Amino acid sequence: MAADPFESEALSFLDALYRTGLRMTRSEAEAEDLVQETYIRAFRFREQFRPGTNLKAWLFRILTNTFINQYRRKAARPETTVLDDVEESILYRHMRDVSPGSSSPDPEAELIDKTISSEVKDALEALPEKFRTTVLLDVEGFSYKEIAEMLDIPIGTVMSRLHRGRKFLQKRLYDLARDRGIVAARAMPRPAD
Amino acid sequence: MDCPDCLERLYAYLDRELKPDEVTEVRAHLDDCGGCDDNFVIEQRFLARVRDCCTEDKAPAELRTRIVTQLRMDHDAPR
Repeated sequence: MAADPFESEALSFLDALYRTGLRMTRSEAEAEDLVQETYIRAFRFREQFRPGTNLKAWLFRILTNTFINQYRRKAARPETTVLDDVEESILYRHMRDVSPGSSSPDPEAELIDKTISSEVKDALEALPEKFRTTVLLDVEGFSYKEIAEMLDIPIGTVMSRLHRGRKFLQKRLYDLARDRGIVAARAMPRPAD
Repeated sequence: MDCPDCLERLYAYLDRELKPDEVTEVRAHLDDCGGCDDNFVIEQRFLARVRDCCTEDKAPAELRTRIVTQLRMDHDAPR
């Protein structure tokens, strides 16, 4: 069969779609089904794709919609994680900590680099679904506007979900690091407590 | 721009979502304020780490095969 440019370009995003699906569904088997379904739909509706526009964004929109429509409904695990109002207290700490001549960011930076990849992934998967999806789309490099369009939410909501999602991740990773004993007195992007 | 204003724009700045004149203002503040600059550096590093961890996974080879096979079947099937 002659090479189909749409097919080859679409398949070049397979890894990105899979890893995002994996974090969304938190299951390898479900991620595989989700991605396969995404491709089937993409090809079925390929004439709706306008050449010259962003194929990755178009595919991710299908992935996200498919996930939301099919998987959210039958999510076996109810969302138990509640995002507390860590946001304000962290911001407050930020403000309080901001002072000229503070020490270098090296200890925090070092801690971040020491964070184990599996811990970052686990922390992401612990995020409530709406926050997780938004953070994952950001990780894939989409703009606020693209994410807003994919999720059909205002840009302000994208920004607040990213903000809260990231603060949650930082707190979780900080707590893990503290448990592992690699955090000294001050470290990491300010935990809530 | 003061520190709270600057921190409020932290993520939008790092996400490259600020307008050019706001970028200039934030940069000017960061040049003057070591505390804010430290925070920005740490947050930038954190975001990069999350991105690196999350983009390292690859799809299983058999998934690619499965999808290509399925697409060819759909394509060849009578409509």
